[in-house]
Amino acid sequence: MGAFTRRNAIVVLFSVEIMLNAANLNFIAFWRYSDNPELLHGPMFTLFAIAVAAAEVAVGLALVIAVYRHFKTVDLESINTLRE
Amino acid sequence: MNEEISFWILSAIAVLGALVAVRKRNLIHGVFALLVFFAGLSGLFLLLLAEFIAAVQVLVYIGAVGVLLLFAIMLTERVAGDDDRRMISRGWSWGLLAAAAVFVVLLLRPIQQLPSQDAAQPIKPSVEALGHKLINPYVVTLEVLALLLTAALIGAVTAAQGLRMPKEEDSPE
Repeated sequence: MGAFTRRNAIVVLFSVEIMLNAANLNFIAFWRYSDNPELLHGPMFTLFAIAVAAAEVAVGLALVIAVYRHFKTVDLESINTLRE
Repeated sequence: MNEEISFWILSAIAVLGALVAVRKRNLIHGVFALLVFFAGLSGLFLLLLAEFIAAVQVLVYIGAVGVLLLFAIMLTERVAGDDDRRMISRGWSWGLLAAAAVFVVLLLRPIQQLPSQDAAQPIKPSVEALGHKLINPYVVTLEVLALLLTAALIGAVTAAQGLRMPKEEDSPE
């Protein structure tokens, strides 16, 4: 919800993190209740997802800082150069 | 029974943490609420007997991501900025409607058809098997991931540093 309704770019980043974590929780839960949990598909995928999410946070924050330096704001509704 | 109680407590912690993280106007408070959310989720992973994932969650999210967010917010002077105006933009009702529609379309039928599971079968600690899997079938993925992390790190530094080319200054916005 926050990803679409908040106007602060960093809060949108939080929201993406929360969504990724929810997906990870689903992976683990379905793995735990699956028929053959010893195959370890769930934890493996979650491990890779966590690593990719970490990379995403770093790049996302860097982008937010770059956008802030350029536009002097992180308000997503006032960053609309492409629309004008 | 014990598991059920801990499940509810941890879920409440996680959901409340996520809600507060998204709704707080003060970004610093939001980050701390996000850390609470990550901790609750890590507890849930432990409850599901994914102990390695729980440890990774604590290390990566609470340790690295949390500190990274705090540093970025605190060091950049006014990113936390004036969010005092309207907190949410227009059209939140459309968002709610879309979320409800997606839920109904995608999830309602499968949830109704879920067999009522009994207790999951007991499993052995999975850390050792996870390590073996990481080396044997998934080694290419691991390497690609390492490459991705390196590229992301370099890219993040480059993007945050900004391009300091003299021509960049007087280019039209």
